[in-house]
Amino acid sequence: MTTPPPDLAEHAADSVEQAKAVIEYCYDQGWTDGLPVVPATRSGVEQFLATTDRGAEEIIGSAPHLGRSITVAQAAANAIMAGCKPEYFPVVLAAWEAVNLERSARGAWQSTSGPSPLIVVNGPVRISLEINYQGGVFGPGFRANATIARAIGLIVRNGYGIRPQELEQATQGLPGRWSVCLGENEELSPWEPFSVVGGVDPGVDAVSAVLIRTCEYVDNRGTDSPEAVLADFADTLARLGAYVGGAHSSGGLVLGPEHAQLFGRHGYSRGDVQQWLFEHAVRDHADLVAAGKADAPVSEPAQAGTSFPMMPSATDIPILVAGAANAAMSMVFRPFGWAPWSGRSVPVAWSRALTEV
Amino acid sequence: MFDSIIDPTLGRAADPDRGRAALAARPASLSGLRLGLLANTKRNAEQFLAEVGMLLTERHGVTTVVARKKPDITSTAPEPILDDLRAWCDVVVVGVGDCGSCSASAVADGIILEQSGLPAVVVCTDAFTASADAMAGLRGAPGYRYLTVPHPMANLTPDGVRERAAAAVPGIVGMLTRRAMAAAP
Repeated sequence: MTTPPPDLAEHAADSVEQAKAVIEYCYDQGWTDGLPVVPATRSGVEQFLATTDRGAEEIIGSAPHLGRSITVAQAAANAIMAGCKPEYFPVVLAAWEAVNLERSARGAWQSTSGPSPLIVVNGPVRISLEINYQGGVFGPGFRANATIARAIGLIVRNGYGIRPQELEQATQGLPGRWSVCLGENEELSPWEPFSVVGGVDPGVDAVSAVLIRTCEYVDNRGTDSPEAVLADFADTLARLGAYVGGAHSSGGLVLGPEHAQLFGRHGYSRGDVQQWLFEHAVRDHADLVAAGKADAPVSEPAQAGTSFPMMPSATDIPILVAGAANAAMSMVFRPFGWAPWSGRSVPVAWSRALTEV
Repeated sequence: MFDSIIDPTLGRAADPDRGRAALAARPASLSGLRLGLLANTKRNAEQFLAEVGMLLTERHGVTTVVARKKPDITSTAPEPILDDLRAWCDVVVVGVGDCGSCSASAVADGIILEQSGLPAVVVCTDAFTASADAMAGLRGAPGYRYLTVPHPMANLTPDGVRERAAAAVPGIVGMLTRRAMAAAP
């Protein structure tokens, strides 16, 4: 059922009623993700385009099998609708590029797995745009985090025409789809920024992205032993339910600052944590048999009587730090598909006009 | 009304996504024709199509069978594979659309082959008709008909695959030979 056309004569004198009517119009066009959108106008798009040196008609994504491609101007329109401010737009473009570096991205938006980008922002831009990296970092409550992530979802929906229960075939999807954009808590991390792992110089604004199927918390406040906490992580990383067949499962960590600092105090580098987890997140072949997964549709990872690592490799366990230092808890996230994180972060490119001001 | 709002679904004006696909003319029967099988990498897809090929040869007079497998379930078949099918086949069976993206891309393969003049039947499991229909609309063939088989296909035993193929053959023959295949207006 569609809403009757707004009676403009009735509302002509009331700008608030007008605004409501515009929001309803956008719903009726099928342009929203279920929440209200901000209408995009030509002047709005021009404001957004002024923040980047990329051309309005430049193609920044294509889905040849759908006969669709996405332009910079179209991304701007969708970022406006998501509620972004113009100055967020270079971050949205970098996030889009980072998402598209993921090898699993191409089929992801139509997949029954229904994955969502985990977007990570590093650098001073976290401060200038007020991108939350502290308490409640998974949201909601912070405009930049919420709208940058939402913009990516609207670009997929409106740009590619991939809508739920049509071309999008997510069986259940996941909580927080199109809403997870984190700043890294570089200030409380014992290690170099995540974007430096991704190949970008320290101090440079950069965005990284991993497609994930969900996040699972690990709450461990009872010990000062880094190995005990690591064992707790390894248990969750090796969870059988997350294994979908193939040579291995997948996993990464958003460490709360307390866990990160515990590792740091005991001399663990990021690489040490990755190596420990790779070695200890293992399962016996018998566990797969018990769960009915030894004969999964794709090849099984080990022979009867043996154990095998559930993580693809040590370096394929992405680890970053975010949240508040007020309790020792962290989040395990699950990269989608068998392809690990691209390992590449994308620098945020500001327009020359902006950087010269 | 609200003319100043920008439509966020519109990219470049030249996007070829809103055309109308023409479908191929149908033969009266399959007797004496060359059959193509276009499989994807979903489990049991090749086995299902191979069984269909055997049954169409035994019972419906198909003379040769050319089997190809595309490497990527999300995308349409690569041009060299499509060229092989165009060169060596008179009719094609495509399958099996058994996931969100592969059902849509199987329908896209079918429509591409139809546009080359090859009658094609696309086989999808019945869990993914929404995705298949959406792709047909996007490809300019709204209402494009494909054959549905019960979901799922991936967990069937070899005997189960053979049964499923035998049950699908009458529908496949009908859709390759029936004139009513054309897209809805």
